[in-house]
Amino acid sequence: MIKTAGLTKIYQTSSVAVHALRGVSIEVKKGEFVSIMGPSGSGKSTLMNLLGCLDKPSGGTYTLDGTDVSNLSEDELAAIRNRKIGFVFQTFNLLPRLTALRNVELPMLYAGVEPEERYTRAKTALERVGLANRLHHYPNQLSGGQNQRVAIARALVNNPAVILADEPTGNLDTLSGEEIMAVFQELNAEGATIVLVTHEREIAEHTQRVLTLRDGLLQRDEQIKDPLNAKEILQQLRNKAGDRE
Amino acid sequence: MNLWESVRVALDGIMANKLRSFLTTLGIIIGIAAVITVVAIGQGGRAVIMGEFEKIGTNIYMVWVDWRADDPPTGREIQKEDAAIIKRLSPAVSYLAPVNTAIRPVKGSEDQKSARLIGTTADYIHIRNLEIIRGRFLTAQDDNGCRRVAVVDEELARELYGKTDPIGQKLMIRNTPLVVVGLLKSEKSMFSFGTSKPVYIPISTWQYVFHNYYISQLEGKAVSREEVPLAVEQTLKILERRHNTEGRYQSVTLEDEMESANKVTGILTLIISAVAGISLLVGGIGVMNIMLVSVTERVREIGIRMALGARRRDILMQFLVEAVMLCLLGGLVGIVLGVGGAYLVAKLAHWPPLVSWGTVAIAVLFSAVIGIFFGIYPANKAARMNPIEALRRE
Repeated sequence: MIKTAGLTKIYQTSSVAVHALRGVSIEVKKGEFVSIMGPSGSGKSTLMNLLGCLDKPSGGTYTLDGTDVSNLSEDELAAIRNRKIGFVFQTFNLLPRLTALRNVELPMLYAGVEPEERYTRAKTALERVGLANRLHHYPNQLSGGQNQRVAIARALVNNPAVILADEPTGNLDTLSGEEIMAVFQELNAEGATIVLVTHEREIAEHTQRVLTLRDGLLQRDEQIKDPLNAKEILQQLRNKAGDRE
Repeated sequence: MNLWESVRVALDGIMANKLRSFLTTLGIIIGIAAVITVVAIGQGGRAVIMGEFEKIGTNIYMVWVDWRADDPPTGREIQKEDAAIIKRLSPAVSYLAPVNTAIRPVKGSEDQKSARLIGTTADYIHIRNLEIIRGRFLTAQDDNGCRRVAVVDEELARELYGKTDPIGQKLMIRNTPLVVVGLLKSEKSMFSFGTSKPVYIPISTWQYVFHNYYISQLEGKAVSREEVPLAVEQTLKILERRHNTEGRYQSVTLEDEMESANKVTGILTLIISAVAGISLLVGGIGVMNIMLVSVTERVREIGIRMALGARRRDILMQFLVEAVMLCLLGGLVGIVLGVGGAYLVAKLAHWPPLVSWGTVAIAVLFSAVIGIFFGIYPANKAARMNPIEALRRE
């Protein structure tokens, strides 16, 4: 699904050239749930921007869903972002003036989907993340966890090849974070390919494979033999809360 | 994303800041309202002036001696007989009368008033469409016999004679007594405002009273509006030939007068429209200013939209449509106010409310153009943003 070969990115500032990525070759297969870890400055944000087609690599190739996207034009990249990639951000990045439903409709707006179909698909996506009764709420009327689920619904509404989640639990408490991971695991079980960037080892252990970056290079590629199950953890958390009461 | 979607997104943006949007478009609102009202006032005023001309009759003309010619005038350039001869020779001329005018005090039984003494012939009543209320107008016999008779404006007569019936009464002009033989309906025209009221006497009597035998001008009426140029041409030609001169006479037609009146109202409308246009320009700059603020405020939104697949041209369209919508909404409010203003003025001034729908259409078009012109820079600024940086911005 995702395949990069010797991906490099050099930022040219006025005085020095910063080598953010020095040749990263990774492969993510269809249906995989992969996390990318690394300390700040390791290049994981840069890699994320490149994987998300928000930026172009300085060198190397990037093939997404069978298409070489390393040298596409800006408009072509926009189309790729629209159809092949679903973004989930740390800060949710919903438009505050739009209801949950219309936020989820946004990617389809740029895909040229007809209004009726947009509505049904957005509704289905929101139902899938458990927000069937929050369609017409505005982001400020929803909790952080709910907002992130709206964002996930938005990410998957165009049936993307891959969902890119950048610290999706970073702004959430443990319980909400675990709920979000449960949603991701469920989507993954249904066949979605997910790449998740995090700096929390515990979150990374929910995924099947952890890629660790350091100084712009891939340092480790480890398989998680027995990923944490978010649903079980949620159950334990809830039981604990129940015991306290 | 199609245009309708863009319009919906733009309306969301405008409605999110209602007060700011309103204040932003105020310049456009005032500009458009001013243009529409001013043009309507101009047109209404012109219609009134033209109506007055129509009342007088659009096929009349005047001929007089050109005082600026090299040879000093002899006072004999126009003879009383010329009128009758020209009328007989030119089929385009239906009426032609010599006219002398002087402002003099006239005395009735009750009072003395300043009047416009007009010496002329029987044709004059047809040229000016005068209306006799009682008695009669001047006749050819009055002129031939140099009769001491006068036809008086009814309002003037009331001032001169009070409740006494003026017909048959004595009217003193200088030291000459005349007899009132007819009463004319007062002219209610915007042109007659403030001028002395008229007293008509035979041209021969006028010449006798003032001991002056020159004739200052001829007033004529062509058989139709189309024949006016021919009537003027033939009148001049016959005059030149009879008096063996060249380029001695001048003429004016009501058509000419209407044209110059039109020109004046046109210039006034143009000037005020230019002022309104400046208001529109200032309004447009205001829109650009607010759109720039709006783009800066919504950097993150732009980043999100780009991440979700908006192309640069989608972002450009979004902000451009928003600017155009702002201007169009301002334009619509301006049209409502402008048309309302036009009707109000028309009601107060008793004019026809002539709202020019062409102007309204131009106003709508113009506000859209302002939106595009002043929206393109901010929209382009938004579209050129780097999505990564835009997303990072708080």
